[in-house]
Amino acid sequence: MSVSSSIASRSGAQERMTARERRTRFWQMVQLVPIMAILVLLFGGALVLAILQSLGFAPWFGVNTFPDFSYFGALWGSSTFWVSLGLTLYYATVSTVIALILGILLALALVKTFPSKTFYKYLYKLPLMIPYTVGIALAVLMLSNGGMLSRLAAFFGLIDDPAQFPQILKTHYGWGIIAVYVWKQTPFITLAVYAVLLGIGRETEEAAAILGANRRTIFFRVTLPQILPGVVSSTLICFAFNVGAFEAPFILGGGFPDTLPVVAWRYFNDADYTLQLQGMATVVSIGLVAGVILFGYLAAYRRYERRMGRN
Amino acid sequence: MARKFNIALSSRLSPFQKFYLLIIAGFILGPFIPLIIQSFAFRWAWPDLLPGTWWLEQRDRAMVPLAWDYVLSPYSRVWEATVNTVLIGSIVTVICLAICLPAARVLAREKFRGKSAFEFFLSLPLIVPEAAIGIALLMMFIRLGLAGSYVGIIIAHLIPTIPYMVRMLTAVYQGLGRDFEEQAMILGASRWQVLRLVTLPMLLPGVVAGALFTFLVSTNIFLLTFFLGQGQIVTLPTLLFSKIAGGTLDASAAGITLIVTLPGIILLIISERFIKEEAFGKGFGN
Repeated sequence: MSVSSSIASRSGAQERMTARERRTRFWQMVQLVPIMAILVLLFGGALVLAILQSLGFAPWFGVNTFPDFSYFGALWGSSTFWVSLGLTLYYATVSTVIALILGILLALALVKTFPSKTFYKYLYKLPLMIPYTVGIALAVLMLSNGGMLSRLAAFFGLIDDPAQFPQILKTHYGWGIIAVYVWKQTPFITLAVYAVLLGIGRETEEAAAILGANRRTIFFRVTLPQILPGVVSSTLICFAFNVGAFEAPFILGGGFPDTLPVVAWRYFNDADYTLQLQGMATVVSIGLVAGVILFGYLAAYRRYERRMGRN
Repeated sequence: MARKFNIALSSRLSPFQKFYLLIIAGFILGPFIPLIIQSFAFRWAWPDLLPGTWWLEQRDRAMVPLAWDYVLSPYSRVWEATVNTVLIGSIVTVICLAICLPAARVLAREKFRGKSAFEFFLSLPLIVPEAAIGIALLMMFIRLGLAGSYVGIIIAHLIPTIPYMVRMLTAVYQGLGRDFEEQAMILGASRWQVLRLVTLPMLLPGVVAGALFTFLVSTNIFLLTFFLGQGQIVTLPTLLFSKIAGGTLDASAAGITLIVTLPGIILLIISERFIKEEAFGKGFGN
């Protein structure tokens, strides 16, 4: 066998390998197509349609003034929009922060060893398993002026008329809405943080304790930086959900001015269907605001990670 | 010093943590006690901590339907809503599984350009506000004639379920490794045999966990069902919403709330064995 022919056969084998590689690569891409197609069609389609409509493209209503920024102009020009936006962000932020604090405390307790641990591992997941509407029903039962807390206050002689109980539901302070979100989302954040805590083990904390750190230092300098990925991902999800949630502000909110999703829904169900375009402008605004805030949050987190030398 | 060291390292609960766990139990479970009482109440005037008249005392001379009679009767539509919820949840789970299994395998094992961007794209549905997706989808589905239909709702439910399913299945595939499949192939097994005798049995616990969680997410979705169902398809969350939309909770609404809670409790008991906390430990788009 000559040298040249052996080289030729080897390069042939190489070519066959790359052909096979190309085929497997192709099959890999094929496996990703269905998931991609669904998300692009639904997500992308909805996005494009929403933006087109909010800019005045709705030939099926006989409206076609594309591109027309008057819907955004009218929306952003009214002061009630900004009040609505403020309320939306206020409910979302306050409940996410409270749920985060409660969730971290709970996760830190759950990694300890104690007799009723199995019971608690079931218990804390319960709100995660049931719809928000159940939480709202419980809030109505507990927090309304004729509710259980008001009855308990009367039982202990603090008040003698339902009207004396501080109004919690249907005000713009939104403590009813916040209570529902916190009740439902503390378990979610606990789950995420607890998972990370289980993953990192206790060695680093032990090392810090041996080096003389007290509990506060251990938490803020050792534990917190390590659970941060879980904290960030779960708070991102909760915050985005709270911004876009409809049922709690609709039932427990203080009425006009409503949060943005409720405003959008009202525009959308108005008898005057041209208001749907205004509703679409509201929807796009929700997406924009949430996008900017979440992007900023992620960017800040990435910068922190880089400063810590992790990425 | 030694004492401080012990406190810092203790694997037991501190007094504060004991107290905190009790508070949490009260916070989570507490409201269910009056809820159960309310569903059996006939008259429950304001300052009373227990109903003045119980349902059982008034059974024979009730003019209005009593709570549980009403809840269990066809008029409440509870049965219809339960069937719809389970049906939609099951179909969504099956479709989701079929779409996500192949994708998860590729994501767990292969490296390709744009992979992290693709993973970020997959988790996007979790961080885009639901109201925005819901209303925009409704406009699209009205054009396509899918609004108010089962097909429309099932398609919409795929959006929030796909990210969780893909994530959980990817974790499963990563844990599985490639070695066992390769060994089976070396020993002469065909592709089909490898899939049937090696891959599937090893994947099963993770797949069950993913399926249960997807089912759970689907049965809890309110907004997409409410917007896209156009009032024509009731599920348990939307049924309860229509009962409490006025901001009050009567005995029959309390009964329906308890019914809506039941599937969650059943799933909790089943899934505790399958759904592991570890599957959620992954950060976002890192």
